[in-house]
Amino acid sequence: VSAEAGPILPTITDLNKPFWDACAVGELRMQACAQCGHVRYPVAPICPQCLSPQYEWRRLSGRGEILSWVYFQRAYHAAWENRVPYNVILVQLEEGPRMFSNALPLGRDDLRIGMRVQVEFDDESGVALPRFCPVVDGQHDS
Amino acid sequence: MAWRKAAIVGVGVSRLGNLPNDTPLSLATEAFRDALADSGVAKDEVDGLLTMPGTTSTEGARHYLAVGERLGINPRLTGSLYMGGATACALVQQAALAVDAGMASVVACVFGDTARSGGNRFNTAAGADDSWGIWGMFGNAANSAFGARRHMELYGTTSEQLGWVAVTCRRHAQLNPQATMQAPMTIADHQASRMIVEPLHLLDCCLISDGAIVILVAGPERATDSRKPPVMLWGMGQGHTLQNLELPEWWYVPHQADAVSRTYRMAGVGPKDIDVAQLYDNFTISVLFWLEHAGFVAPGEAGPFVEGGERITLGGELPINTAGGNLSEAYMQGWLHIVEGVRQIRGEAGARQVDAELCLVAGRGMILNTASVLILGR
Repeated sequence: VSAEAGPILPTITDLNKPFWDACAVGELRMQACAQCGHVRYPVAPICPQCLSPQYEWRRLSGRGEILSWVYFQRAYHAAWENRVPYNVILVQLEEGPRMFSNALPLGRDDLRIGMRVQVEFDDESGVALPRFCPVVDGQHDS
Repeated sequence: MAWRKAAIVGVGVSRLGNLPNDTPLSLATEAFRDALADSGVAKDEVDGLLTMPGTTSTEGARHYLAVGERLGINPRLTGSLYMGGATACALVQQAALAVDAGMASVVACVFGDTARSGGNRFNTAAGADDSWGIWGMFGNAANSAFGARRHMELYGTTSEQLGWVAVTCRRHAQLNPQATMQAPMTIADHQASRMIVEPLHLLDCCLISDGAIVILVAGPERATDSRKPPVMLWGMGQGHTLQNLELPEWWYVPHQADAVSRTYRMAGVGPKDIDVAQLYDNFTISVLFWLEHAGFVAPGEAGPFVEGGERITLGGELPINTAGGNLSEAYMQGWLHIVEGVRQIRGEAGARQVDAELCLVAGRGMILNTASVLILGR
């Protein structure tokens, strides 16, 4: 079963296409509300703060820090059977939103809360997935 | 002033465990008969029916129809609700409000599930829009593991401290003939159990069980006529964070503190008045969060509080999960926590009886989203 199970890839919709198109060109973009400025994630048709449907796809720095992280020792899905153990991180992005992702390499388990990370686009069957690399002090500013 | 405008007058529990020849409805029927016998309420007196579909129930929001047809109930008030582990307390609250408003006189709150034999592994990916499964984020253990990791790094909480919750619940289960897990457990067993999602070991995780529970709620007048002393609802409260990633403190489930403080206010009591607590324990870390959110300890102090187990067991400052909880009695999504609260207040808990006037019961469900709380007393 696992040999046939490809990776879980995003389902592209009219709404989230700009997010994934941006990833494909190496940019992390999220929706910024045109009315109240709130930057939101996950992708949503209206602002959860002010309900405005108007927004722009704002390019983010891709910088953030690890809010928390876990290390999967068992696979819950055939697509991940050959990858255990692997980390999943909760990233606090500099511009406000949070997202789940992975630290590269996936098997890395020396992570810490507060560790600064930088987005990196990782090819997964032709789709550029936003994942994150821990950065050393000063590297953010270069 | 405590609210005390409705009471739990009966509880019913089916067989629990691995029951491959049963269905959620067959088990619910068994629990319903048990609840009628427990309360002395006649079937015809039940004029309210509130239900929670099991994970293997196929009816979804129409679950009440299937239960009503099976049990032969044509109620004045009905409906189904699914909030995971917060549903049990939430349905008792709805039942209490209904009997207080005169919309029903006896409400049966019903749950049945065959998660164990039906193969539910509680392992799905969540996430609005893009699935979290893209990044390998699956299952309920991981949701709680994020909170556990952060609690550990911020406050120095250890895996052994989490282990004391599991070990204490197991000791309590050994005093409960109804509990499905009776084998002894040590901290060494906990530490040696395999990692599921680090930092959570297998023995940090709740069971997966088949079974059913029915709880009967009535107004104070009907309650005084029932077979056993009524267990009055002193206070009730809820709190929810229906957003996930939008909230920076989502991992710490802040709405639980709101749900408990609302319940204290309604009951006119505080944490020092609580004699025993049944705290929703899908994972050991959840108990630590509840201890902090309910004001039994300050934020960050739950790890040392549970260490060694003395404070949270019989004779300790605050006995918790005296029947064994989700971790060692059976995983009935918080319904058994209410049953145990009722038995403690009635004085029916046998070898695990606490000298209890007030019991706090707390439930929490979904992707850490929902919380509901009761304070039970006489």
